[in-house]
Amino acid sequence: MVGGALLFLTGVGVILESIRLRIGTPISPQPGFFPFLEGLMLIGLSLILMILAWQGRGQRSEGLGEIRRPVYLVVGIGVYVFLLDPLGYVLATIPMAALVLWILGLRSWRAIGLVSVGLSIGTYLLFALLLGIELPRGLLTVLG
Amino acid sequence: MDFFSNLGMGFAVTLTPANLMFAFAGAVIGTAIGVLPGLGTPTTIALLLPATYKMDPTSAVILMAGIFYGAMYGGSTTSILLNIPGEAASVVTCLDGYKMAQQGKAGRALGISAMGSFIAGSLGVLGLSLIAPPLVALALKFGPAEYTSLVFLGLLMAVYLSEGSPLKGLLMMGLGLILANVGIDPVFGQGRFTFGVERLLDGINIVIVGMGVFGIGEVLINLETTEVREVFKTSLKGVLPTLDDWRRSWAAILRGSVLGFFIGVLPGGGATIGSFMAYAIEKRVSKNPEAFGKGAIEAVAAPESANNAASVSSFIPLLTLGIPGNASTAMIFVALMIHGIQPGPFLLQEHPQLFWGVIASMYVGNVMLLGLNLPLIGFWVRLLKVPYHYLAAFIVVICIIGAYSLNNSAFDVGAMLFFGVLGYFLRKGSFPMAPLALALILGNKLESSFLQSLQLSAADLGIFIEKPISVALLSTAALMVLIPLIRWLWHLKSGAKRG
Repeated sequence: MVGGALLFLTGVGVILESIRLRIGTPISPQPGFFPFLEGLMLIGLSLILMILAWQGRGQRSEGLGEIRRPVYLVVGIGVYVFLLDPLGYVLATIPMAALVLWILGLRSWRAIGLVSVGLSIGTYLLFALLLGIELPRGLLTVLG
Repeated sequence: MDFFSNLGMGFAVTLTPANLMFAFAGAVIGTAIGVLPGLGTPTTIALLLPATYKMDPTSAVILMAGIFYGAMYGGSTTSILLNIPGEAASVVTCLDGYKMAQQGKAGRALGISAMGSFIAGSLGVLGLSLIAPPLVALALKFGPAEYTSLVFLGLLMAVYLSEGSPLKGLLMMGLGLILANVGIDPVFGQGRFTFGVERLLDGINIVIVGMGVFGIGEVLINLETTEVREVFKTSLKGVLPTLDDWRRSWAAILRGSVLGFFIGVLPGGGATIGSFMAYAIEKRVSKNPEAFGKGAIEAVAAPESANNAASVSSFIPLLTLGIPGNASTAMIFVALMIHGIQPGPFLLQEHPQLFWGVIASMYVGNVMLLGLNLPLIGFWVRLLKVPYHYLAAFIVVICIIGAYSLNNSAFDVGAMLFFGVLGYFLRKGSFPMAPLALALILGNKLESSFLQSLQLSAADLGIFIEKPISVALLSTAALMVLIPLIRWLWHLKSGAKRG
């Protein structure tokens, strides 16, 4: 039901934006023409989905399970996005990898430390040095 | 050049040390991810994209193709030994494979599934090499009207044949088409849905969506469960099928191969549906249908053959028509685009070495997989003991590198996280992911070919029903929508009568 409502609202937003872009006609379509059709499709289908869910006939969705751990991970990567450029890939990735390991139930601090440092440095060596992919050096640039 | 000289050229490309190494790496990685539950093929291919940026495109596709069909070999291992399918396409193998393991016949179940996979994979490649060239010749005759109808049918098939409810599939198709609209519009050159964010003018990169939805989304889902994997302790001796096993399985392998091949060609068809249908048909034609579900070896052989044949034949729409039929081939489509190669009918003309090189690599890869799977079954089983937290940390880190390296920008990492969260909630709501990915890839093509058709016909929509190929494609699309609708209305009516 919630999914259907969100998709319905998305459809409404798309219709409003396509009107702003100008829809035109099938004979002379404008940039908003295709998005308008897609918005209509999303609205129509999400209405059917909501009606079926309301009547209890739709395909059942999974309930929200253990939500805490996914939230921790999303917040962790969210913070990481802001730290990546200033700290650099290696330094920012160590705490992020440690967080993932901890969230997934690894409790040995030694193992967490070793794996997160190893993963961060190992992937940097593999991708940046061996495969030539540019990754931010951040604070490590002072090392030259 | 005829078929054999083309194939000879393909083998010349494949049998270089570098490409043999990539085919081998693909087979190894594919088997590993097939064995490991919680890491799917599209996710792995998406994760490997950054590693292929500086590779030769032929080598990149050889590697990725190897992962795709290699996963089908590996997927059966967890189904048979753990009753947990490593891949969706191996779900049905659990039914009789695990029963065989419980009866002490795990080795024979693994053996027949590897042999069946090998035979089906090889037959599939033969079919691919024979069917692809004439299909390319036909596709070269397509104008914008035929192409519009083809993409439309391809998307609808992906919806109706993918897992889950078609209604939710259609919604995902709509969402994918809307996401494809973001950025400069392909016909008028005007920015759409960018909301003043300059970075969005280039559109939403499918790599970011793929890594988010398949990579991060999968990790988020797996975070909810603390899965304990217990390998069934049984004898793994005697992995070579006995004469009696062959007698019972050879026809099932052939039927599974043929069925899987044709299902795999259909967009959205793929290995999962192929394996389920092969099981159902095998049960129907069997003289002992009551043995199914109790450890029948032919019930392992048929679906395992079908999923391998389907994984190979799903390259046909990608390489000949430029239409990826499932999420894995969608990621290979993206890899080709990153290298500036447009998959489709011109691929064979413009890059024959890539086309035939990839096909030849599949022949070689299947032989490698047989060699890798049977003698090394003990090693693959041990791989299951790798705790998921190490794998998850690795997936997250690789997704970050992949997203960042597209434009050297942390913004893209944030966007990937957004799509990861979106993918998480969509999976929770049982929305299928493949139609979203395919619509995002094909959305702009659909729009531009539709508008081109209107330009050519002076805005006459009749152009779509004047061309015979277009009519055939649209009629199939109409049937796909109408048949389930009529069936649903019929059920509703008969239900009302009974009620």
